[in-house]
Amino acid sequence: MTGVAQLLVNGVALGASYALVALGFVLVLNATSAVNFAQGDLVMAGGFLAVALAGSIPLPGILLLPLVAALMAALGLLVSLLAYLPLRHRPPVSVFISTIAVGIILQNGATLLFGPEPKAAPPLFGGGTLDIAGVLVPEQSLAVVAVAGLLILGQHWLFARTQLGRRLRATAQDPEMARACGIPVTAMVAATFALGAALAGAAGLLLSNQFFVTPTSGSGLILKAYIAVTIGGWGSVAGAVAGALLIAAFEVVVSATLSYSAATAALYLALLAILAVRPQGLFGEAARSRA
Amino acid sequence: MPARKAILFAAAFAALSSAAGPAAAADLDIPVLVPVTGFLALEGTSQRNGAVLAIRQAPEGLTVRSEVIDTGTSPEGAVTALERASGRGTPTAIAASMLGTQMLAMLPLADEYGIPLVTVSGTASITERGNPWVFRFFPGDGVTKTAHARYVAEELGKRRPAVIYQTTAYGQSGQAHLRDAFAKLGVEPVFEEGVDPGIRDMLPVLTKAMAANPDVLVLHLHSGPTALFVRQAAAMNPGVPIVAGSAMHQPSTAALLEPAELKGVCAETSASPVSGGSPEMERFTADYRAAFGTEPDAFALGQYDGIRMVLDAAADGADTPEAVRNALAKGIYRGLAMTYRSDGRGNMAHSAVIVCYDGSSRVPAVVKRYDVAP
Repeated sequence: MTGVAQLLVNGVALGASYALVALGFVLVLNATSAVNFAQGDLVMAGGFLAVALAGSIPLPGILLLPLVAALMAALGLLVSLLAYLPLRHRPPVSVFISTIAVGIILQNGATLLFGPEPKAAPPLFGGGTLDIAGVLVPEQSLAVVAVAGLLILGQHWLFARTQLGRRLRATAQDPEMARACGIPVTAMVAATFALGAALAGAAGLLLSNQFFVTPTSGSGLILKAYIAVTIGGWGSVAGAVAGALLIAAFEVVVSATLSYSAATAALYLALLAILAVRPQGLFGEAARSRA
Repeated sequence: MPARKAILFAAAFAALSSAAGPAAAADLDIPVLVPVTGFLALEGTSQRNGAVLAIRQAPEGLTVRSEVIDTGTSPEGAVTALERASGRGTPTAIAASMLGTQMLAMLPLADEYGIPLVTVSGTASITERGNPWVFRFFPGDGVTKTAHARYVAEELGKRRPAVIYQTTAYGQSGQAHLRDAFAKLGVEPVFEEGVDPGIRDMLPVLTKAMAANPDVLVLHLHSGPTALFVRQAAAMNPGVPIVAGSAMHQPSTAALLEPAELKGVCAETSASPVSGGSPEMERFTADYRAAFGTEPDAFALGQYDGIRMVLDAAADGADTPEAVRNALAKGIYRGLAMTYRSDGRGNMAHSAVIVCYDGSSRVPAVVKRYDVAP
């Protein structure tokens, strides 16, 4: 029982980080109907940015987090200006390819700037381990869950309670109508990319302390985000979070009881089963009712 | 720090270009075709650096034209790089990718064009195809995994290993050789599992391995997964030693861990430049640090030794690809890591060492050396 609890602690921390990746992904998807395949590489970029900042400014991760998020938001703006806005009236495949290109540029840029070696960002607070009823809980895991939870709630608050959030939602739901109502749609789209990249940066900092960062480490994350969003329901923020947590728990538990290979196969089988029963994903209806 | 690294990176290329000199004046052409991007970028960059340093330190009187071409990690990338490097004439020799699948794709072309390939690839089959143009300056799995298993069984006296390996070709080749080596020693692993390189949490496999009640954890993983495993094992304190694969000896892997997390962890490798041991090795390590701003590993040293053997052969008059091939095939070369000699199939390296960390630093000590007659 203690072993299962131990595994779930790790699974929740991993899932919280996956959720941040999936959230950034679903944000851009909602605002632009475009799939941003550079989201995983933005996480990688955030991880390296945290490593670089920590090398120059010896602060704990929690104090670097706002700086990383702000700089990554600027990068997100740049991505929107270069890879989305010039192509938004082209066929969707153009944006699809341009975001893949952004990801490859980020990977190779990271290799040039930081080299291929794995790097670790500083911990959020400390590096100790707590013994809670026989379960060894790394302080970093607790901090990751707490920070990820706050960021997820913060995003919910932004969308539900603020003028900016309402404008973002309006842009996502009907850009033409939003423009007719005087909402600066282009600025809203750019803001969405910035927010998505800021979340990716936060995820990058959180993940790169526990699991290290390499120039190619974002590649696997985008697939996880894609699956999380599909399981949760395209367009659903709550679904993205739930999907990410489910994936992480699934991975950890099945890996520990069977094998990693079985976990991968089982994850995709579960995805097929969910889509067969609920093609719209677990939270698909909720997303439609909000729309 | 990033800016400094970028400058060092650019300087490395600039230095290589200046070492190359004008094409018409070059005695030798030694392209460096290795993966510096993609999942093998860490090891490939070490390989590149080793080749570049050797070319920069070419014997007096030799001018060497060279070009670094990134092969990525696909076989077609390697073939394209080889075609490009051969486009302006037949190279004297090539520092060729350490990625086995790329080497397998390059071998027929090397045979067709008559170019010696000097590599540190560990994939066994590249020297099992009767191709006379391939020379491997890194011990194959048959040597390193035998040393790995012997250290576990003979020095540590362990009889119940749990073997955790990567699901890549590298990992599966190592696992097969480990299994054979353990079988010859009368040892049966109590647990074996493959781990995808993208897996981020090693606790599940650690939990399952410990449930099998092993007396030692034997790893054959890439750099990042090795560091992840060692860190999580240190946190969980499983109470059994870890003997890892060569990725653990890489300074960049150790840099991810605190010295205390490394206490008692051992690894197999062909050599450990940062551990020193001779004035020549220490000079190589210092030169490497000065040139690239990072620590050398066994891949860098193996490729350095290989290219130095080519250059020394050229200095002795072997100035055509065929003459270089003959020199590599028949000669004996006292390199920094070991003495190299072909076994008739291009396997030049026949030694492996075990290094261990004492918990006080990230520099391991060489604790055991295994030499195998070619």
